[in-house]
Amino acid sequence: MIIRMIRGALIRQKGKMMLIAFTIALGTSLATAMLNVMLDVGDKVNQELKTYGANITVKPKDSSLLSDLYDVEDEGDAIQTSYLQEDEVSKLKTIFWAFNIVDFAPFMETATALPDGSEAKVVGTWFNHHLDLSTGESLDAGVTTLRTWWDLTEGTWIDEQQDSLNSAMVGAVLAEAQGWQTGDTVTLDGPASSAEVTIVGIFDGGGDEDEQIYAPLDLVQSLNDTEGKVSYIEVSALTTPDNDLARRAAQNPQALSSADYETWYCTAYVSAICYQIQEAITDCVASAVRQVAESEGTILDKTQLLMILITILSLIGAALGISNLVTASVMERAKEIGLLKAVGARDHSITGLVLTEILITALIGGVAGYFMGFGFAQLIGQTVFGSAIEMRLMVVPIVIVLIALVTAAGSVPAIFMVLRLDPAEVLHGSKA
Amino acid sequence: MNKKRKMLLKMVTASLLRRRSRMLIALLSIAVGATILSGLVTIYYDVPRQMGAQFRNYGANMILVPSDEETMTQEGAQECMDIIPADDLVGASPYRYINVEMNSRQRIFVAAGTDFEQVQSTSPYFMVDGEYPSSERQVLVGKETAELIGARIGSVLELSYKPEGGKRNSLKFTVSGILDTGGDEESYIFMTLKAMSDLTTEETALDVMELSISSTEEGLENYITQISEMDNGIQARLVKRVTKSEASVLSKLQSLVLLVTVVVLLLTMICVCTTMMAVVSERRKEIGLRKALGASDQSIRTEFLYEGMFLGLLGGILGTVLGFVFAQTVSVNVFESSITFQPLLLPVTVIASMLIAALSCMIPIKNAIAIDPALVLKGE
Repeated sequence: MIIRMIRGALIRQKGKMMLIAFTIALGTSLATAMLNVMLDVGDKVNQELKTYGANITVKPKDSSLLSDLYDVEDEGDAIQTSYLQEDEVSKLKTIFWAFNIVDFAPFMETATALPDGSEAKVVGTWFNHHLDLSTGESLDAGVTTLRTWWDLTEGTWIDEQQDSLNSAMVGAVLAEAQGWQTGDTVTLDGPASSAEVTIVGIFDGGGDEDEQIYAPLDLVQSLNDTEGKVSYIEVSALTTPDNDLARRAAQNPQALSSADYETWYCTAYVSAICYQIQEAITDCVASAVRQVAESEGTILDKTQLLMILITILSLIGAALGISNLVTASVMERAKEIGLLKAVGARDHSITGLVLTEILITALIGGVAGYFMGFGFAQLIGQTVFGSAIEMRLMVVPIVIVLIALVTAAGSVPAIFMVLRLDPAEVLHGSKA
Repeated sequence: MNKKRKMLLKMVTASLLRRRSRMLIALLSIAVGATILSGLVTIYYDVPRQMGAQFRNYGANMILVPSDEETMTQEGAQECMDIIPADDLVGASPYRYINVEMNSRQRIFVAAGTDFEQVQSTSPYFMVDGEYPSSERQVLVGKETAELIGARIGSVLELSYKPEGGKRNSLKFTVSGILDTGGDEESYIFMTLKAMSDLTTEETALDVMELSISSTEEGLENYITQISEMDNGIQARLVKRVTKSEASVLSKLQSLVLLVTVVVLLLTMICVCTTMMAVVSERRKEIGLRKALGASDQSIRTEFLYEGMFLGLLGGILGTVLGFVFAQTVSVNVFESSITFQPLLLPVTVIASMLIAALSCMIPIKNAIAIDPALVLKGE
């Protein structure tokens, strides 16, 4: 009997039920889309912030200080006593948070005399170095992707797979001072040997690099006679903003309790990633570039908080929208409920009947809405970030509970209100 | 005419008062829509400014350097900075670099003379263990240098400087803090400009002036052109790493908020429509009765339209206020600053709410009017 009545109500009042289902679908899609976008926005913005370049530098343990300081004393004639091994660079992709290491490039510097008698710094590095890792993964790493802010005023980036080893890129200020253009040949005179290079591109980076020459790492190593060695490595990693635990750990990881240590080690804090890099590469010091790491944290936190508040607002909007409509639709049926009462139906069976009808409608609307919300989330992801938004399973129960609560909250008070009315009055139409 | 109008007014108010609970629901739904509209639009307009301020954490985005063979003085740099509105200039740190010798170690270090108050605004990411120097005989030592020479907070360093062909001059400094940045600054010793001119016994010329300006990339380019036109031996350069990245990330964030606003608004407005439709379509019988009594279609439409617009007006005003409260909460919680009320938003929100309310009344009424009153009254 009850099934027949429900089915009857659903089919007879198709239009009204459709309206309710449609509104619930809209509310659900809003909640689904916003929750998914909110949960994913951190990762997405983190990726975007990678345009600021490396947030970790890795230097050899003992000589980093000396090299920097001697640099000052006698520019260009850097004395470096210890190095990192080039074949260890790929170990960066073997640490616990390997997946968060987005990009990296090793560096080796030297100086060359210029035709006019002055000196220029020659920086050897990877441009788009192809790496095949022991894990079977392969990736291209280097400054082409690490220096996103460089403007190429002439020519192209060095392509390690195609260009010969004897190519170089020159900073705009230096190129202008020397009157160099792409295609010109320049002699680089290192401490150990010299080489003729062809200028492939001229870049404008807005910093010291505009007065430097960038060349493939292997070439600069042979100029310095330091084959297989690198002076420092720049690493760009996706990190979680620092909190109290991370700050305490940065001072001394050993001082943490074992539970705290576990949490810290297994969270992508910049200090934890630095620590893991130090474990992977022999005799190195990895330190956070505060300018990038700190600002990333602030911006990430702010964006997430902003999205959370907007999500809360839209959830409240969706909830009020749904419960409003449900209330209105229950009140609309005052006459029907009055009739049911008049023919002897009990209050609880009427409540059950109306509630079941509405919940069935909500279920249909909710399922449709979830998929609509999926679509909206992808639309936002593709338009803004050019990549898909990950759909999280945890959103499903949240949305189900929310919709069920909101629908019940909208219908139950209205049903009670209608039930309190005298059936005679309702049917007569004097009260509604 | 006057009588007719009076009647209309009476019918509208009576209908609003008699059907209190329904009208409350309709009003609530419009108010929710209007709150979301005004709240999100306010945030959308405010986000670029507020987020832009957050991006200043990355430090200076423009530097002033002397052109070849010229010297830059504080006054010269100030002249250039005068073209930048004071509100947009977050900070301006002057820097002068010299090589100093540490007497006890026979070692040369880079000393940077600067203004520490400004440094805190241009480089908020500087992490100082201890304190920034507050007097002329205090210095801030980079972490690497501090480790190398074993300096701690409170240590006394004797630094000396020998000008070309001049006499060596020594001064004693107390270490007030150790600086951690992860960058080159860790190998420097920072002191005040006054201390540096005491040490060098000559007038301080600046090597670099770091500026942190809240402005777009085009705005910065514009300042650079203006400064180069001044032709006072000072050159302005963009810190590309900061400006380029800021432009790209900020535009992404802005389009994110825009798209979210559009999607949320669209869905909320449809929700408002359906609720209004449900409330109005309940009154089909009333419409049928009126038609049977001889009311013209036009007069029925006018009455409902007025009713809807009245609800829209009330809901719109309510929503504007609530939306502003929401936007203010967001701004205070996320960005720790308040926002100013956009007066233009009030009429926009009210008009939008009235339009939506009227529009969603019209659809069910059109259907009700089209049907034969006899059928409507019979309940079919």
